[in-house]
Amino acid sequence: MNRLVGFAGVVSKRISGAIALLIGASSIIYLTVRMAPGNAVDAITPMGTPDDIKQQLAADFGLNEGPVKGYFSWLSRAFQGDLGDSLVVAMGSRVVDEALPAYWITLRLSALALLFCLAVAFLAALATSHHQRRSGLMAAPIYVFTTIPSFIMAVFLIHGINSFVRYNISQDVIFTLDWYALGQPSDSIVPTLIGGLALVFSDGLFVDYLNALRAELTKLKTSQFIMSVKSRGASVWPHIIRNLWVPLVAGYAARLPLVLSSVVIVEKIFGIEGAGFLLIEAAKVRDLPMVVGVSLLFTMTVIIVDLLASLVRVATDPREVARGA
Amino acid sequence: MLKGQLGLWSSGTIVGIFCLFGFIAPLVDYSAQDAVNQRERQFCPPAFVDATPEQSRSCPKPTGSFFGTDHLGREVGIRLFKGIQAVFFPGCLAAILAIFIGGLLGAVGGYTQGALRAITLGLIRIIDTLPRMVFLILVCTIFRPSITLIAVVAGILSIPTVATVVRVKVERLASEDYILAHIAHGFRPVKILLYHILWLQCRSVLIRQASFIFGYIVFIEAALCYLGDYGVQEPQPSWGNMIAQAKSYALMSTWPWLFPSLAVMVTIAAFMAFGNVIANRDEGAKR
Amino acid sequence: MKNLLAVKDLSIEFDTKAGRKRVVDSISFQVGEGEVLGVLGESGSGKTITTSAVLGLIQGNPGVVNGQILLSTGDETLNLLAGLGDVMTGNKGIEVKNVRRWDRLVSRRMKSVWGSQMTAVFQNPRASLDPLIKVGTQVAESVALAHPDWTATRVRDKALDWLQRVQLNAPERVYVSYAHELSGGMCQRVMVAVALAREPRLLIADEPTTGLDTTVRAEIVKLFASLIDEENRAMMYISHDVREVLYLADRVIVMKDGVILETSTAHDIRHGYGQRAPYTQFLLESAGIFEGDPNA
Repeated sequence: MNRLVGFAGVVSKRISGAIALLIGASSIIYLTVRMAPGNAVDAITPMGTPDDIKQQLAADFGLNEGPVKGYFSWLSRAFQGDLGDSLVVAMGSRVVDEALPAYWITLRLSALALLFCLAVAFLAALATSHHQRRSGLMAAPIYVFTTIPSFIMAVFLIHGINSFVRYNISQDVIFTLDWYALGQPSDSIVPTLIGGLALVFSDGLFVDYLNALRAELTKLKTSQFIMSVKSRGASVWPHIIRNLWVPLVAGYAARLPLVLSSVVIVEKIFGIEGAGFLLIEAAKVRDLPMVVGVSLLFTMTVIIVDLLASLVRVATDPREVARGA
Repeated sequence: MLKGQLGLWSSGTIVGIFCLFGFIAPLVDYSAQDAVNQRERQFCPPAFVDATPEQSRSCPKPTGSFFGTDHLGREVGIRLFKGIQAVFFPGCLAAILAIFIGGLLGAVGGYTQGALRAITLGLIRIIDTLPRMVFLILVCTIFRPSITLIAVVAGILSIPTVATVVRVKVERLASEDYILAHIAHGFRPVKILLYHILWLQCRSVLIRQASFIFGYIVFIEAALCYLGDYGVQEPQPSWGNMIAQAKSYALMSTWPWLFPSLAVMVTIAAFMAFGNVIANRDEGAKR
Repeated sequence: MKNLLAVKDLSIEFDTKAGRKRVVDSISFQVGEGEVLGVLGESGSGKTITTSAVLGLIQGNPGVVNGQILLSTGDETLNLLAGLGDVMTGNKGIEVKNVRRWDRLVSRRMKSVWGSQMTAVFQNPRASLDPLIKVGTQVAESVALAHPDWTATRVRDKALDWLQRVQLNAPERVYVSYAHELSGGMCQRVMVAVALAREPRLLIADEPTTGLDTTVRAEIVKLFASLIDEENRAMMYISHDVREVLYLADRVIVMKDGVILETSTAHDIRHGYGQRAPYTQFLLESAGIFEGDPNA
């Protein structure tokens, strides 16, 4: 009973913390919009925007009101699903209608890429948990490979595929450096697959995860309770897997912001028409409602995934409840 | 013994060359090599590659352009060298900003109790929640982006990382006996926090983070240039806008985008490795 | 008395940055059936690494492990070190594949030994319990391993019975607790229950009272004494505390710098019979036990 009360207390604390985070992060986004130089509406709209749309925009962002009042009216509208109308990219249709389907593509891509990364890193950690840290000459190429930025990885991948296809398959198929394949159907899975690979094996994501898991695994394997389990002849793997579960989930949530940053680049380069692609297109033509709406979606995802991960931790690790919020 | 030194020397050399070039690049006059009215010299291959007959007619002898020329006939080598200038001072700015503010916030968050701690940690969490690339693009949309502004924002977005490593370290140290002994001896808390904890104990993690942030600025400049021509604008060269421009001509010549890409890759790796090596040595010396 | 465990000429060397270091230098000792052997020595004397070697739980990279560890399982005598001595040696020193081979060989060898033949209780009891599993379940896991054919209810009852026997108040409540909810002394009682529920022939207690409060230590030592007596099990009791060792042990070995300085019966030491090694004398005196002190 006592444990249940503690559990409920921690869960409600985590949820209220997430709400506070959401308010804090969205207020930073809002204040950034308000800080636009000069006449705000002029600064944030494309050249030649008609006056009535400017008026509409100012009302959408509460620019005619004080910062606090404007923020809350903007936020409440945002939570009712009204992020304003797109100016250029989707030509007057509602941001939510455009952004949500695109965002689903992005979320699926990054979540699956990270899951794949986790699975491979986990297997690699199991396979290499005996190895010592590499040092010296071998470290250099590994460092270069693991810290390679996602867009350079993508550029190399495209160029490699390009050359391969042209010299081995057909002279007719040409990719330029952005993924505009001639005759490539727009719903093809190929860019998504390669983009996912570029996501996983760049920005140090994979190796970072691998090292964290390996450290966790080594710590567990040499920990006293595993020795104790061993010495009484019980199987250690159920215990190790159970204890590895907590850092696995925490690591997943902690790395999602990184992936959500890389995914913007990867989507643009591979022409995957997700929210990142939308964001860049909108930013190029200064379609502010769209940019702000997509930014808000990204930020919300980070907060929600973080909350979910912490709830999973609370549910699986009894020490979390004892520790409190 | 040699193994440990090798990592230091290889990464240190690259970082050293980068910093040296960052300082001397503004002093070099390169307008002759960077002139754009040499269209007949476009896409010359680098000196170590055999030129096709039509290229060798217009291209100078290998000594002229070791890294080849781009679509406007400009020397890629010279532009690589000048490109360092574009990110060097912004990188320093971002690193200093993040280290100072992040270190201070982390120390306050780890050392104090109560409301001050809650506010500090909350602030760190809020900044940490914003996905960096997305927020940078938002900033680029609203403001007229200059590389300095981008560096400042990227520095601010790096604060949580610095603050968190410092906070964890400070929290562990604050309860250690010798720090308690310092307090009992009547040392001023500010001195204990700034000197005994931040400088003596967190020096290595701060150096590591500064090096990482520098690498991150190189990355973010290149990425933002690639994505939307934010950051350093033509005709001033930067590695990012070199890649961004060369990608349109990628089918005609590989070299103009390959060299800046490699430069970005190697530089980031070197800064990461350098930060790690220096920090590990510093921590190793303490043990 | 028949020997349960016989260690002959055991040497352990570690590869460190400063070269190969010998931490245990050809030591020999025996544990008889139903006997309690006390191992006395200060930290760094090699007593913990010796027990790790006996248990097959050496962590890190042992350079060379030489000698014999003979364990009589009743039907046969196993040499736990057979074929292991030269795994680590080689011109290139320690290699990854050798560490892995070592782990594999040890695991295969110890599979029939861990638990049924011997098990261990370590210092720092809270870290010895899986933090994510209720402690009662961990005792039940041991019971189930000792009696694979028992039903779940019977296993649970036996586990509760064990918690009772290690003198925990309210065993039902302890059964559903997690390690972090119990005090250090309670955790060590649970650990004793976990180890003995496995019904090993030899229990190895490696400094089980270190880090506990003085009063709790006395209770744990008494608990060991009564349970080992009731169950008639053999035990190796490793400690740096002279009084604990003298209270529990039948025979005592004294270690320093990886060498056995003295082997003697606890009775002789208690009553000052025979010749003491100077170091033993020093240990006794630093514990406030002087030669011929009848109250010791």
